Amino acid sequence: MLFQVEGLVSGYGKIDVVRSLSLHVDEGEHVGLFGPNGHGKTTLLRTVSGLIPAKAGKVRFRGEDISNLDARLIVERGLIHVPQGNQLFPQMTVQENLTLGAYVRRSDSRKASNFEKVFALFPRLQERRAQQARTLSGGERQMLSIGVGLMGMPELLLLDEPSVGLAPLIKEELARAIAEIAATGVSMIVVDQDVELLLGICDRLYLIEKGAVSLETADVSQVDQAEILEMYFGKVT
Amino acid sequence: MTLEALVAIIAGALVSGSLYALMASGLSLVWGTVRMFNFAHGALVMVGAYSAWYVSNRGGIAKALQPIGKSIVASSEDSGALGSLLLPLGEWILSIKGGFGLALGVPFAILCCGLVGYIMYVLLVKPFVGKPGADLIVIITTIAGASFMQNGVQVIFGPRYKQLDRILKGPPLQILETAIGLQEVLIIILTPLTLFLLHLFLKHSKLGLAIRAVAQNDDFAHLVGINVSQIYPLTFVVSSILAGLCGVMLGGLFFILPTMGAQELLFAFVVVVFGGLGSLPGTIVGAYVIGFIRESSAYIIDLYWAPVVLFATLIIVLIFRPRGLMGGEDS
Ligand SMILES: Nc1ncnc2c1ncn2[C@@H]1O[C@H](COP(=O)(O)OP(=O)(O)OP(=O)(O)O)[C@@H](O)[C@H]1O
Ligand SMILES: [Mg+2]
Repeated sequence: MLFQVEGLVSGYGKIDVVRSLSLHVDEGEHVGLFGPNGHGKTTLLRTVSGLIPAKAGKVRFRGEDISNLDARLIVERGLIHVPQGNQLFPQMTVQENLTLGAYVRRSDSRKASNFEKVFALFPRLQERRAQQARTLSGGERQMLSIGVGLMGMPELLLLDEPSVGLAPLIKEELARAIAEIAATGVSMIVVDQDVELLLGICDRLYLIEKGAVSLETADVSQVDQAEILEMYFGKVT
Repeated sequence: MTLEALVAIIAGALVSGSLYALMASGLSLVWGTVRMFNFAHGALVMVGAYSAWYVSNRGGIAKALQPIGKSIVASSEDSGALGSLLLPLGEWILSIKGGFGLALGVPFAILCCGLVGYIMYVLLVKPFVGKPGADLIVIITTIAGASFMQNGVQVIFGPRYKQLDRILKGPPLQILETAIGLQEVLIIILTPLTLFLLHLFLKHSKLGLAIRAVAQNDDFAHLVGINVSQIYPLTFVVSSILAGLCGVMLGGLFFILPTMGAQELLFAFVVVVFGGLGSLPGTIVGAYVIGFIRESSAYIIDLYWAPVVLFATLIIVLIFRPRGLMGGEDS
């Protein structure tokens, strides 16, 4: 098993947002997380990538307990988190943002070929490489955000709401790009509100409610997708 | 106004603008990255000047070494084989009674300031990073640090004023009947060069890029694997070296005394606010503009009115551009 979360508890101050959450990702697997707003998906990812401390439970990556390791050491192991809200270095160029994506030792030496890969996936970024990130459109920023993640050569890529707030056409373009990344064999956890988008990319889905897994699907290719949609929208009113 | 007066004002503006730029760019760098104001920044000017003086001047380490040199020479005369080995060492020490010169003094000052900047970060800033109210606490701790350094230097070096040797000796440069000292000319030339090196460092080196990354989005900096807790002290070191260089330049113009740097710090704060908090280009442009306002008002009105004119300009600029000359929307 590539990645495993066991009984994870975390939150802000005294408030627990993630409450004894467990899930796993197999090697090469693509797993989707969905669920109502404010129920701890982002908090889960922030805990996994070392931005906030885990109060209890374990996070294992390739068998090693990485809970409460420094964020940079987690990145160095190939677990890369593309945060929600296309966070970037706003006053830096596209090129500089991508360069920083390859900051860690493991990807520093492969920078040139990774630049090519990212530009092949998102040709628009290549056209705009000298442009400041803050002047990009929402879709382009999301592309750049994912591009920065890819520069770090992920073995497990965490994508937090890559499609949020995007117009349908851009969203489709982005979904295709994510599917393309998935096809290269990178394992993934994708968080998104758009269950259809998740179904197009992922092998399995988890429904996250009140900081824990409330439902886990079997392999989505084996079950009726309409059933899953109904299940989700039936539960959340 | 005569042409000579204009030349004098411009030369003066370039000199004080240079000094402010060196001071303020460090202050701005620390603010942008660590989000704190370092009130000990002025004391680093003093540390730079004293450490350069200590190594370069005949009254510094050279003087302290003379008795040692003498006793080595004396003892080598009556101790056979070992003595013949010690003799050259003793004679060498005696031969440097004029000091090591600025060629060693300046690198030593850079080293000292970098080290003091690091220690300052560890003792005065690091314990409070991330705690509530840290920015206010650090104002107090750095003021305390500055006072400690000033008094320490007073105890070590005594109250007598010191002065650095001039690097270039010779008659002043004549431009349209106006004499401009060679030290001034050197400052005018070397400062932009130093700032350009700073620009190259921030724009093209991996660590420089990391400093800017932390300044712009420290959460995301963590996520690309930057060791953010290492970038903070690095920023202090870089900024302290800039202040130290300012001290070396000042030390060749005026007397070196424990309280030097205080006035420059005040002006540097004005420059940083004027140019736009955290914006390095704004800070540098601001420094020269402030330098020009100071020199021209000192010439046209009166030296003692210069600060009044300066603060009036600052207030007017802030009314129309609350984030300063080049301050971003929200950074
Ligand atoms: N920095 C913070 N400080 C305090 N509380 C926070 C902080 N960030 C998030 N929260 C709270 O934690 C809860 C979970 O937030 P989280 O962002 O993890 O939810 P989410 O499932 O990702 O939601 P969304 O789908 O809207 O992104 C929310 O109630 C939120 O208000
Ligand atoms: Mg979220």
